[in-house]
This record gives sequence, structure tokens and C-alpha cells, in this order.
Amino acid sequence: MKKITTIVASAALIASISYAKEVKIGVVLPLTGPIAAFGQTSNGGLKIAYAQRHKLKNGDTIKLIVLDDRGDKVEAATATKRLIDKNHVTAILGEVASSNSMAMAPIAEKAKTPMITHASTNPRVTKGKKFVTRACFIDPFQGAIQANYAYDHGYKTAVIVTDAKQDYSVGVSKAFKKAYLKRGGKILGRVLINSGDKDFNAQVSTIKSKMPSIVAFTGYYPEGALMVRQARAMGVKAPFIGGDGVGFPELIKIGGKAAEGFMYSDHFNEAAATSPVAKAYVKAFHAKYHKPADSMGALAADGYNMILDAMNKCADPTDKICVNKNLRATKNFQGVTGVININKNGDAVKSGVVNVVKNGKFAYLTTVNP
Amino acid sequence: MDILTFMQQMINGISLGSMYALIAIGYTLVYGVLRLINFAHGDIMMVGAFVAYLAHASGVPFGLAVILAIIVAMVTGILTDKIAYKPLRNAPKISLLITAIGISFFLENLFNVLFGGVPRAFSAPDYLTKIMHFQGIVIPMTVVIIPVVTLVLLFIMLWILNKTKYGMAIRSLAFDIPTVKLMGINADFIIMLVFAMGSGLAAIGGIFYAVSYPSIDPLMGVIVGLKAFAAAVLGGIGSVTGAVLGGFILGFTEIVVVAFMPELGGYKDAFAFVFLILVLLFKPTGIMGQDLERSRF
Repeated sequence: MKKITTIVASAALIASISYAKEVKIGVVLPLTGPIAAFGQTSNGGLKIAYAQRHKLKNGDTIKLIVLDDRGDKVEAATATKRLIDKNHVTAILGEVASSNSMAMAPIAEKAKTPMITHASTNPRVTKGKKFVTRACFIDPFQGAIQANYAYDHGYKTAVIVTDAKQDYSVGVSKAFKKAYLKRGGKILGRVLINSGDKDFNAQVSTIKSKMPSIVAFTGYYPEGALMVRQARAMGVKAPFIGGDGVGFPELIKIGGKAAEGFMYSDHFNEAAATSPVAKAYVKAFHAKYHKPADSMGALAADGYNMILDAMNKCADPTDKICVNKNLRATKNFQGVTGVININKNGDAVKSGVVNVVKNGKFAYLTTVNP
Repeated sequence: MDILTFMQQMINGISLGSMYALIAIGYTLVYGVLRLINFAHGDIMMVGAFVAYLAHASGVPFGLAVILAIIVAMVTGILTDKIAYKPLRNAPKISLLITAIGISFFLENLFNVLFGGVPRAFSAPDYLTKIMHFQGIVIPMTVVIIPVVTLVLLFIMLWILNKTKYGMAIRSLAFDIPTVKLMGINADFIIMLVFAMGSGLAAIGGIFYAVSYPSIDPLMGVIVGLKAFAAAVLGGIGSVTGAVLGGFILGFTEIVVVAFMPELGGYKDAFAFVFLILVLLFKPTGIMGQDLERSRF
């Protein structure tokens, strides 16, 4: 088994600790591997949030322990166990991919450690769990945004592309189908892919023969970029619409010109950021990274701040039961990605946006409220 | 399915199959001589693709970048042999196998640390990525080039192995290393040559893979390496011609599963491997592999 790379993100805070306690938050992210962009961007946002705020009300300092799981379910579970058993963290932030979060959730639940996933949208991540919360909307909402947007803009026939390996993709596909049929759209077929695949010519040929007006691509960006490229090469003209799994610069870098017109639902677009919290975050982000703020980073920042808010409401911020109770009771949280309310399932109820690739950039199309 | 889509799917099969075949040749070459399943082969392929990418991105012309990549991959192959495999020459084969896995992990993680895990866009010159249209069928340039390259390399390999002195030495090494040494042949040099050839082939495979699917990352060699290994086993591991045949069979199986049973498309790998198991059940040595422990290539 491969060793887990440890990155301790908080080297600079040693100086200030004398009597104040240190409260540990564990973070599990795919910093390398096929979906590394998810982890890297999340970590980038987390660093901004940490720089803005790393002290609790009572003077305790937050220490982040960031572990890489290489985008692997087994590694994600191992990292979670390690954070709980060895590092004794009070709370856990992560993962991005729903499949990985689902591997972590039972472990956090059993150890009664509050876990917040900032970006896993599959409903099953929090289902039946008392200690798992999320900072993002769920797939039925995301799938409905895509289906309604597509249908309302004149794309009335669709082929769905599902990544059979990813719970996220299976969930979004199901949600898209349901909402699209309800609206009156017609599903012409479904093709399956596997994350890690690079050759989609067979699937693309099938799509071409069905002649849909839109392709609902529900997978992640590495496959999305290559698939849209192969689709354009094959002469498929129908636009692609996807979810938050494709909104990464790599989609444009790898997809090239073929990625133009790729639409997707997402959590955040800085063009739609109007609240003071969001503006401050975007400003700090620009100053540090010199590029537009991405949604994964913004979500990670929100997840992190939700944990801190919950800790601040407890007499002892390391009391896991109390932190979890307050985390689950989050109401009207002013986050970077909008106002977040946690419902009884632990899911966030919040708005989403639709973006499109235009002239090699992600352009904002619209905001959809729940 | 109409005839046009069918033809297109056949083109897709050739495209994928020749890709696997190209990578499987190098796999099988090393096995034929050393009886070592070189799990690092896919990662050497990745090294080749990365070097070509980095060189091309820093302004080196593509042709030169390819040559540079092949040289670096060869050196990497030779170094792995010298550092990791040579001290184990007389150790049990299983130790060698585990070392190969270790090398594989080492290369993956080294590149992860050096270049990060985020996929990069591989840019190739237009004459390689051109797309041709023929009676409504789409034929990417790579579908024409890769099988040709594969066949040319196959013939070069067969020529070296069967017609040259070095080839004779390589073949004799496959029989019996100590005896070959007694005959005054520098066995270590010949083994180095095999690694250099295998790694060079891997680099060529990696570059064409990156041209066809222009997204490269440090873990890109894992799945392809596995597929190429399966192709080599299917064709009869140790047989260069078998590796090419195995590659095409594997590629076509995957395409056919997706084309005719789209609802089972997610399980195409499972189909490919079930097929592999079936072949091995009836012909344990693979399609072109021979029963005799001693006849190879």
C-alpha cells in the first residue's frame, strides 16, 4: 500500500501558541491522482479561508492537518481513520468526490466525529448519518438545474453520459433524467464511461447515430475534456451540459476549442458574488493566486468556516458532539457561495449557478434558487 | 445500427487496438528475455510522454522532443535495470516482480511530486492530429499512423531478434543466462540493450498515446500498462507478434461491447478481462505463445 503524503498546512502558527489550546481539523482531499484538480483547488480556497481566520472566539488556534488520498476510496477511508485515531482531530473536512466521501462517512459516523463534505453532491453521502453534513447542494437539485436549463433553451432531445464508476455521475444522471422527462424532454439513450478511460470514440459514435440536440455529460472534467474533443472530431455538433465536476480550467486546457459552449451547473461564480463575505474572499483569492476564484475553493472555505462557527458556539471547541450539533443546526450562514441552511438530512439548501465555456473562459449565465 | 456507425466503430477498434499493441510490444520483449513482468513499463511510457511534453512546451521542435523523450526513457530503463534489477539477477523471480512494482510506484510518485497530479494538455503538431472524412466516416490521422508505426516497429524488432548478432545473443539469454556468459558474451550489456529497447518502445507508445488522448498525468501509465499487459498475455507473453495480435483483440473487444451493448458499456473492462480468462482457459500460453518453455519470439 502506498504511503499517504502528509502536508501540514500550518507551519507558520507555532509562534503564537503559549497557553491557548490548539484545535485540530483534519482535511482529506485528492491532491494527486485523476481528480487532483478538485483537491488542489479546494486546498487553495482553504488556505485563503485559513489566512483570513484561524483563531476561535476563546483564543484557541486552529491547526489543519491535510492528507492526500490520491482520489482513491480506500485511501480516503484510511486517511479518515488516521485523522481520528492518530491525530485526534475534532472535525473533518472532505472529500470532493461523492464515492470517496461515502467511504469516509461511516468511519466518521462510528467515531462520532463531525464530518463536513464541502463538495460531495450525491444524496447518499449524508443519508442516515448523524455526523455527516455538507456545504453544497445535492444532485437532484443540480440535475434539475441542468435539465430545466437545457429544455428551456430549446434542447429538447438528450443523450445522457454516465460515468459508471462514480456515484456522483450516477446520481446526477438519474436526477437529470427525472427532471428532463418531467419538463417534456426526450431521452434518446444513455452511454456509459469509466473514469480513467481516455478513448470514448465508441460512445461518441453511438451518440452521433442518435442525433440528440444536447449531450448531458454527468462525469468529471478529465473525461469531459477528452470526450467533448473526440465528439467534435467525430462531427457531433450538439452542445454538452454537465455538473460541477467539469468546471475546471483543465476542461478548457485539454478540451481546447472543442470545449467552447460546454455548459455546466456550479456552486459559485465570482461574477455573481455580491455579499461582503464573498467579495472579501474573491479579493484575497485574486491577490494570492492571480486568477478567477473557483467554486471548489469557495466551497472548502465555506465548509471550514461552518466548522469554526459551530466550534465557537461550544464551551469546549473540542467537544465533538457539541460541534456536530451546532454544525447540523447551521442556519442563515453567510458563505462565499451564498446563504447556507442545513436541513434535517444534513444537506445544504442554497442556490446554484449555470456557467458556460466562452472564449476560453468560464462565463456566468444565470443563478437558480432552490 | 446502420452501416456507417458500424464502419466507424471498426475504425475506432483499429485505433484503440493499435494503441494497445504498440505498448504491448515493449512489455513482451522484456518478459521474453528476463521472464520479468516489468510493471514499470507503463510508467516508463509516462516518462516518455512527459519528457516529450516538457521539451515541446519549452520550445523544442516536436520531432526533436520525441527523440529526446526516447533517449530519456531509454536511460531511465537502463538505470532501473542497473539500480533495481541487476542486484537481483540471481534472486527468485518473485523478488524481481515486487521490485518492478516498487519502481512503478517510485516513478509515479516522483512525477507527482515534481509536476503535480493535475492533468496537462499535450499539444501535438497539426499533421498528427488532423482528421480526415471519408464517405461520412471520420478517420483521425493517428488511426492511420499508429498501426503503421506498430507494424514497422514489429518488423524492426523481429529483424533485430532474428537477423543480428545482438538478437541472437538476446534470444540465447532467454534460454540460459549462465551458459551464455560462459560463451564469452557480456550478458549484462545485452540485458541493458533489452531494457533500452523496451523503454524506447514504451516512450514511442507513450507519445502516440498522448497524441491520441491529449491529457497526460503521472498516473496515466497505470491503466494502459495493465491493458498492454493483458494484451501481451492474451497474445502469448514473450511473443512479439502475439502482443500485437493481443492488442488488437483487446481493443476491438472493448469497442464492440460499448457499440453493441451501450447499457453494459461501463463494464467493458470486465468483458475484456473475461475474454482474456476464457482464452487462457483453453490456451494457457496465450494465442501465439508456445508450450515449450524454450521457444520464444
